Amino acid sequence: MSETSEEPIARSPIAPQAPVVRFGWEISARAARGDLSLSDETPLAKVAVRAPFRGAAADALGVGFGRTTRTDVDGVGVGDVLVVGSGPGEWLVLAAPGRGPDLAAALTRRLGSSGEFVSVIDLTHGRALVRLAGRAAPQVLAKVCGIDLSDSVTPDGAALRTTVARVVTDVVRDDRGGPPSSVGPSYLLHVERSSGQFLAGALLDAGAEFGLETGTFVGLAGRDT
Amino acid sequence: MMLLPCPWCGPRSATEFRFCGEAGEAGARPDPATATPEQWRRYLYLHANPRGWSTESWYHGSGCRRYFTAERHTLTNEVRSTTAAGGAP
Repeated sequence: MSETSEEPIARSPIAPQAPVVRFGWEISARAARGDLSLSDETPLAKVAVRAPFRGAAADALGVGFGRTTRTDVDGVGVGDVLVVGSGPGEWLVLAAPGRGPDLAAALTRRLGSSGEFVSVIDLTHGRALVRLAGRAAPQVLAKVCGIDLSDSVTPDGAALRTTVARVVTDVVRDDRGGPPSSVGPSYLLHVERSSGQFLAGALLDAGAEFGLETGTFVGLAGRDT
Repeated sequence: MMLLPCPWCGPRSATEFRFCGEAGEAGARPDPATATPEQWRRYLYLHANPRGWSTESWYHGSGCRRYFTAERHTLTNEVRSTTAAGGAP
């Protein structure tokens, strides 16, 4: 029996390249050299909220179906929370790695007083999240997704659920959180954990002709810093 | 590709949806306590299947996960109206 006092390491469903351990997660250390990158953002805390489409809880979350906002939830920190209106009466709240339990507790406190039927569940380890960023990102995504990705239809801050490579995916355009080394659109793609490796492989295959590379973890504040 | 206009998500590929049968009078469920076997059999197995306008129920399983009713022309696939179940968006 080996003697170890190390904290347990969480692993993403997407196999990392040159893995290193940061904030309790095994992540890929290899940074993309070019503008177009696909990074595994699974370590981000992911909390699902369900509440009535209209009402006090929806108002407290500050964003409706189809849009995103950056906000502050008590006890989690300023500006590092992304609230996504992922469906009618459904929200996905993203925060820095390791903040899932704090975020779920803060959301429960904030929304619990609304008197409405609200559920808050920490899905961090049940879902996979990748970020596709770079000037050619819409062209890569268009090969495996039927949505009009032009700026007039899917601008920065848009959120929708559709199929990407035949996998049901939350597509979130979040340019502000893109990797600092890239310019252009940046998409967060959120899927069931068991579909993560397949989606990453399908995107790398679709992006091969554009020079898509695997990048390292970016987080939510990529271009802010 | 056939497009269906979801009242929540807008036009999407029909592959994102599941067809849930005829709605309106043609698909109305009889009361199981009072329906005769003949009425129940008609509800389960017989459909109007018109060549023309049909009121149908659809489920957007790969999108908003909501049900809605659509009036679709079965010959041209034109959709002239949709109604979200449980209230309009």
